[in-house]
Amino acid sequence: MLKSRIAAAIIGTLMCFGAPGGASAQDTIKVGANLPMSGPNAELGEIFSRAASVAVKHINADKMLSKPLELAIEDSQATPQGGVVAMNKLVSVTKVPYVLSAYTAVSKAIAPIGDRAKVVSINGGAVGPDLAELGDYFWNVIPLVNFEAEVLIPFVVKEKGLKNIVLIFVDDPLGEAVQKVLRAEVPKAGGTLVGELQVQRATQQFASIAANVRQLKPDAIYIASFGTQVNQIIKQLRDNGVTQQLMSYSAMSTPSIAELPEAKGAWYTTQSADFTASALGQRVAKEYKDVSGKEANAYVANYYNAIMVFGILAQQLEKAGKPITGTNLLEQRRASPTFDLVGGKMTFQQNGTVSAPVQIREIDGTGTGKLVK
Amino acid sequence: MVFLQLFVNGLQLGAIYALTAVGFSLIFGSTKIFHVAHGSAFAISGYIYWWLASKLAVPWPVATLAAVVAAAVFGLFMERFIYRPIQRHEASFFTVFIAAFGVSLVIQNLIGTVAGRGMETVTTPLSRSIEIMDGLFVAPIAAISIVVAIVVFWALNYFLSRTHIGIAMRALSENPDLVRVFGLDPGRVAQWAFVIGSAVVVPGAIFTAMTAGLNPAIGTHVMLVSLAATIVGGIGSVRGAACGGLLLGLAENLAYWKLDPQWSEAVTFIVLFAFIVFRPSGFFGSPTAAK
Repeated sequence: MLKSRIAAAIIGTLMCFGAPGGASAQDTIKVGANLPMSGPNAELGEIFSRAASVAVKHINADKMLSKPLELAIEDSQATPQGGVVAMNKLVSVTKVPYVLSAYTAVSKAIAPIGDRAKVVSINGGAVGPDLAELGDYFWNVIPLVNFEAEVLIPFVVKEKGLKNIVLIFVDDPLGEAVQKVLRAEVPKAGGTLVGELQVQRATQQFASIAANVRQLKPDAIYIASFGTQVNQIIKQLRDNGVTQQLMSYSAMSTPSIAELPEAKGAWYTTQSADFTASALGQRVAKEYKDVSGKEANAYVANYYNAIMVFGILAQQLEKAGKPITGTNLLEQRRASPTFDLVGGKMTFQQNGTVSAPVQIREIDGTGTGKLVK
Repeated sequence: MVFLQLFVNGLQLGAIYALTAVGFSLIFGSTKIFHVAHGSAFAISGYIYWWLASKLAVPWPVATLAAVVAAAVFGLFMERFIYRPIQRHEASFFTVFIAAFGVSLVIQNLIGTVAGRGMETVTTPLSRSIEIMDGLFVAPIAAISIVVAIVVFWALNYFLSRTHIGIAMRALSENPDLVRVFGLDPGRVAQWAFVIGSAVVVPGAIFTAMTAGLNPAIGTHVMLVSLAATIVGGIGSVRGAACGGLLLGLAENLAYWKLDPQWSEAVTFIVLFAFIVFRPSGFFGSPTAAK
């Protein structure tokens, strides 16, 4: 009796974990997702993973591949250390050829692992300009922040006459990248960067930052952070007497910022992602709303597109009788770099980046806000 | 004027830190349990208040009472169903620590699943600053935080020095066997410590919901502050935790006066480090010699 119980327990355990080379490993094609699923940046991780899951569902429903596609999600916690642990697991244990990435610091940390293992990492959320230089196996489906700043800064300085700008930026590769971009773009547009206030990633209190900002008397404040810290900065600046124009990059396009009363009137840049322009866009927007209850934004388009890029490339490889590996995916992307995705046609440059039209939106308390330019 | 502004901001933040830290110190002082899930009591009560006051438009006294009950029930749950069974079998510090840490992760994920993973705030005119002098902005909530902190510490002090259960809690921290000799149940006294220690975190949680906002992971930050304030104030000393919290809030804000903003949190830990090196017993802790 005891022996049979032990045998049943062993068999059950093996079934739960899946024996190497077992049926479950062969019956699906797996791609990885290295996203922040816990901690203060989990709101974005949830958006990214839901969008990717919608794409997986579409690929499977449309039978694009010979086997069902499966998404293996690991939690990066938006930290380089967490990202490296998650990437190692995805590469060495789950053995995926393709991994979704997010956050500049995480992406920079995992890129060498992907490069060594010849596993493609694809980013749809981080915008540090140096993400264009992380090697052949690191791709981006989001325009990087230099493209966003090139649109926003001339608009703010020249068209709106807000010449004196203060930058509040996070002590992180993303914040430092934005600092570098603004140092170049603001004077080029005829403005002055009157202050640069660096904050730590863990900082949650900004009343005294607000006092510093008031002293600097800017016309506008650019916030270069991410996750809930952006919400905290906006709220505490407004609560503490800062009335000037607030602006940021696509990190401001989260549902919780859209609902924040203090964020009303803030400008942010994001790539154009018109979900109404095509049947595919409408399908994605509807299904995303069904699973999340929220309106789809540019991040949804990016992570949906990132998975669809894999689906299309893998389909082409299967038709050509080639195995789905990181190396073959890279070769196939170079051979056919243009994809028909949410937002229209997207073409990868040789360095793995894409360019897309950038728009300026204003937060008005409704979904993704209103189009300013 | 900048110094005065930073000082006022520091007082407000210090009051919130003190309210947060004092519960942890009370629990640790009485029971010697390293209650790392204290931050979860903060998160639970903050979210309960936010949900009732912001989402259901329940009057604030009712929402506050519900938050107090939720925090107290959580504290009681931890003592009764997590710490006591562990202590019954094996009272290892690390077992207790890991169990509490595990609970805090579960709570963090539960809150994220139920309330969403973004930031939530309680919108109130009380958090909006008014320029009371040229360049000096003060929000009504700053004064309210300071007054509430004073009232809570006075009430806690009265409770610990004038009531039977309060005196028993102090005795428990000194000598549990003596508590038994006097016919009291140390388990029951420990339960009171958890209930009261968890409940006093509520004002800090509500003020944070109104000023900085809540997110499911906020408990981790709260725990760090509580631990730092407890060490600075003197481990186990309620009065010390209050002073430690106030000092850390002031240090974090006054750092902006001469240093770049990225140094503000580092200053907190420089203060902590200085205490560990030069006054390891903290403000009010009793010096002990290594045996």
